[in-house]
Amino acid sequence: MGSIVSIRDVVKEYSLGKVVVPALRGVSLEVEKGEFISIAGPSGSGKTTMLNLIGCVDTATRGVVEVAGQDTGKLTERKLTALRLDTIGFIFQSFNLVSVLTVFQNVEFPLLLQRKLNGAQRKARVMQLLEQVGLATHAKHRPNELSGGQRQRVAVARALVTEPQIVLADEPTANLDSVTGQAIIDLMKSLNQQKGTTFIFSTHDYKVMQHANAVVRLADGKLQGRETGEAAVAAALKGMSVAPVAQAAP
Amino acid sequence: MIARLVVLVQIALRNLFASFINFIIGGIILVGTCTTVVGGGMLDSLDRSMSRSVIGSVAGHVQIYSTKSKDELALFGGMTGGDPELAAMTDFAKVKTALETLPNVKTVVPMGVSGALITSGNTVDLVLARLRDLYKVRDGKNVNPDLADLSGPALTEQIAAQKAHVRQIVNVLKGDYTKAKVLLKKDTEETREGEEALARVSDDGFWAGFDTDPYGSLEYLENRIAPLVTDSDLLFIRYAGTNLDTFQQSFDRMRVIDGQKVPEGHRGFLIAKFFYENNMKLKNARRLDQIKEALDEGNNRVIKGDPVLERLVKENQAQTRDVILQLDGIKTAQVIAALQKLLKTEQTDFAELLTSFFTTDDQNFRERYDFFYKEIAPKLQLYRVKVGDSLTIKAFTKSGYVQSVNVKVYGTFSFEGLEKSPLAGSMCLMDLMSFRDLYGYLTTDKLEEMKALKAGAQAKEVSREHAEDDLFGGGDVVEAQATAGVIDDKAQLSGTGQAMHQEDLVKRVYSREEIENGVVLNAAVMLKDPARLKQTIADINALSEKDGLSIKAVSWQDAAGLLGQFILVAKLVLFFFVGVIFVVAMVIINNAMMMATLQRTQTIGTMRAIGAQRSFVLTMVLVETLVLGLVFGVLGMGLGTGFMSYLGSHGINATTDIMYFFFSGPKLLPTLSAGNLIAALVIILVVSSLSTLIPAVIATRVSPLRAMQTDE
Ligand SMILES: Nc1ncnc2c1ncn2[C@@H]1O[C@H](COP(=O)(O)OP(=O)(O)OP(=O)(O)O)[C@@H](O)[C@H]1O
Ligand SMILES: [Mg+2]
Repeated sequence: MGSIVSIRDVVKEYSLGKVVVPALRGVSLEVEKGEFISIAGPSGSGKTTMLNLIGCVDTATRGVVEVAGQDTGKLTERKLTALRLDTIGFIFQSFNLVSVLTVFQNVEFPLLLQRKLNGAQRKARVMQLLEQVGLATHAKHRPNELSGGQRQRVAVARALVTEPQIVLADEPTANLDSVTGQAIIDLMKSLNQQKGTTFIFSTHDYKVMQHANAVVRLADGKLQGRETGEAAVAAALKGMSVAPVAQAAP
Repeated sequence: MIARLVVLVQIALRNLFASFINFIIGGIILVGTCTTVVGGGMLDSLDRSMSRSVIGSVAGHVQIYSTKSKDELALFGGMTGGDPELAAMTDFAKVKTALETLPNVKTVVPMGVSGALITSGNTVDLVLARLRDLYKVRDGKNVNPDLADLSGPALTEQIAAQKAHVRQIVNVLKGDYTKAKVLLKKDTEETREGEEALARVSDDGFWAGFDTDPYGSLEYLENRIAPLVTDSDLLFIRYAGTNLDTFQQSFDRMRVIDGQKVPEGHRGFLIAKFFYENNMKLKNARRLDQIKEALDEGNNRVIKGDPVLERLVKENQAQTRDVILQLDGIKTAQVIAALQKLLKTEQTDFAELLTSFFTTDDQNFRERYDFFYKEIAPKLQLYRVKVGDSLTIKAFTKSGYVQSVNVKVYGTFSFEGLEKSPLAGSMCLMDLMSFRDLYGYLTTDKLEEMKALKAGAQAKEVSREHAEDDLFGGGDVVEAQATAGVIDDKAQLSGTGQAMHQEDLVKRVYSREEIENGVVLNAAVMLKDPARLKQTIADINALSEKDGLSIKAVSWQDAAGLLGQFILVAKLVLFFFVGVIFVVAMVIINNAMMMATLQRTQTIGTMRAIGAQRSFVLTMVLVETLVLGLVFGVLGMGLGTGFMSYLGSHGINATTDIMYFFFSGPKLLPTLSAGNLIAALVIILVVSSLSTLIPAVIATRVSPLRAMQTDE
């Protein structure tokens, strides 16, 4: 089975003036289609950096990042944007909905950019997704009329509306309370199972990690290994984790 | 595509009402568009009405003049105020024939605009001349057919009345001199001489001995007293010399008001009605007219408290001199009696009586006005020149010596809609033959006369500049019969041979060929289709080039000189004003959009991360300002259109004289054309897109990474 994401010996360095800050120092990772994978690690370990590389919003300093079979280092800005639009869905930590658009319009937005479906098709697709995230009745609301959890569900719907192969989520539960966060993870998981969409998400929260079928650990820009969600949680509970896992965010 | 646009517009609209600064920007755009629409519409309307005025009154659509001219044509006077120096078109007939081959040319009206001094004889001259005639009747040497029936007591009475008139004039003059002495401290050799003369003729002894040597006494009066009177000597008049027949046909807004048209082919003069009323009418009567017009205007205008009307009343009170000077003894007595009755007073001083008569207020004005025209006016000469009179016009010829022409006044005229415009109303009309005489060009009459003179071998060589000779195919020395500066008004008034000759000229009928074969300064070209003005000008210039006509064609606008540039200048001012508004708008829009962009980097970054191309972001920002511009711009256009349609239905009244010309009538009904609205729209679109270019480009540079960062 081919990898949907393939990272090989990736180095990412940020330069702050004359100082070079290494965020990733030679990371390799294969992600299979349909995986529900979590990236764990302490703050500053490089989780976001890695997701950005996979999400084609940033490029590696060295090494290869292949997404859906395409070497992102070799694509133009336009092509990268098109790749993001068609193959990747994003779920952000702070939801990032467009505040002047309604729930419906927010979800419809990527479809408008794609220009593949007509109005009726778009409507059907959007309503189906809102149905799935349980917000069909809120289609005409504006984001600021929703709770945090509802907003993140809208974001999930938006990420999935183009039926992408990969959905990336950087700490999707960080701004939610644990119950709501749990519900979002459940939702993602069920969508992963229904559609086979690959989910890669980062988190500090071991309760969230336990749903993952794989957890990769990052520490100081290096990959520490790969384990199952249960193993990771068990390790964390025993305090045997390679790196101490931060407390769940409030 | 459309759905995308809908969302973009929706984003734009919602952002629009989210920020207060957008309302400030919107307000500026609104004012800017409103100004553009109203200003543009007004100027276009003014342009149209003024072009009607200029084209319809004298310019025609196109003016032609000689390429050899030193100055550019300026029909209404040039930069310096003087008339431009134009070279003559020597063979007008040829030019005319050539131009009339062009399909768009309707008629070509020959012209020449010039100014001159006219003399209408002053009062004392007239009185003395009459007195002389009366004495001649007494002595049986009558020359004046009007006086043929006069004899016996009637004659004696007339003589006494004229004498009383002269004494009255002398009294007025004495008053003037005393005043001048006190006010101006004028005490020169000259004033002393004047005083001496006045003292002598106001002495009863002078009048007692008058009859013993009437001609000697008259001569003394003519030589010593008449020059002291400065009431109505010289008047500057502007006229266009033209083929009156074609002029009357081509400028169809021209109306004869008093009198009649100049009969076909005749020499003659038509006075512009406006000029006639304002410059040739007795000032007191004119002031009464002006007050009455103002009161009749409506608007509840009253004399009391109105500075203009009060000034007119004051002037009438103070300046009764013109009336007094005009009336002889008999008439004075009659008017005094009538005034005493009207004013219920015993006052016998004529000046005092007139002053209290002219003390008009809102209660008595109409009564006094009617009384004036019923009782006093018939005894006065209300106009310096009457229809039917012959007018002596003196002008400097090109070579600088004085030429004088007598021409009969057939009537007055005005251009419909321009009755109150001083610009259109100060240009009188003269036949081309007289014009050529005045200008110093050879006419058929002069040629004949010269032949006669030469035949009689009495030709008196008058040396003269040869400057113009080449114009006439060079050769003969021109001995104009009008020997420079020798023509003597007094001689004419007393009826000499000169007048006889003028009679002949008045009766003479000229053929079209005679009128058009010769020299003209410029010519108006009337077009069949005025819309093709530019093309026709080009055609004329090309034709001139080809046939060697040496003429230059200019549009009515250029021909009008400074006046024609007025609209252009006004447009520049408007553009400047609107320009400033929109530059301010641009700066503010630019800053506001910059701020808005910087505030929304996360949203923009998110859109980019989700898959929006840079072009999408660019479009989004542009659409936003376009929507802003359109929303407020259309509001502004609506406001401007509303305002213009209000003006269009109510009209703007011409309140000053010059406005009559610009409005081509008493009221301007401005209209708005689609062009004005489109222009405003284009300006808005250009301004809003230009002003967001920088913020839009900055927006496209926002990285999708920005979506990942959480706002602090
Ligand atoms: N734009 C940047 N410029 C410079 N250094 C950066 C930048 N982004 C990240 N870094 C550095 O790279 C390293 C990895 O950062 P990253 O954001 O990937 O960590 P993280 O695991 O997501 O942390 P957190 O759990 O706090 O989100 C850090 O040391 C960080 O300081
Ligand atoms: Mg992070």
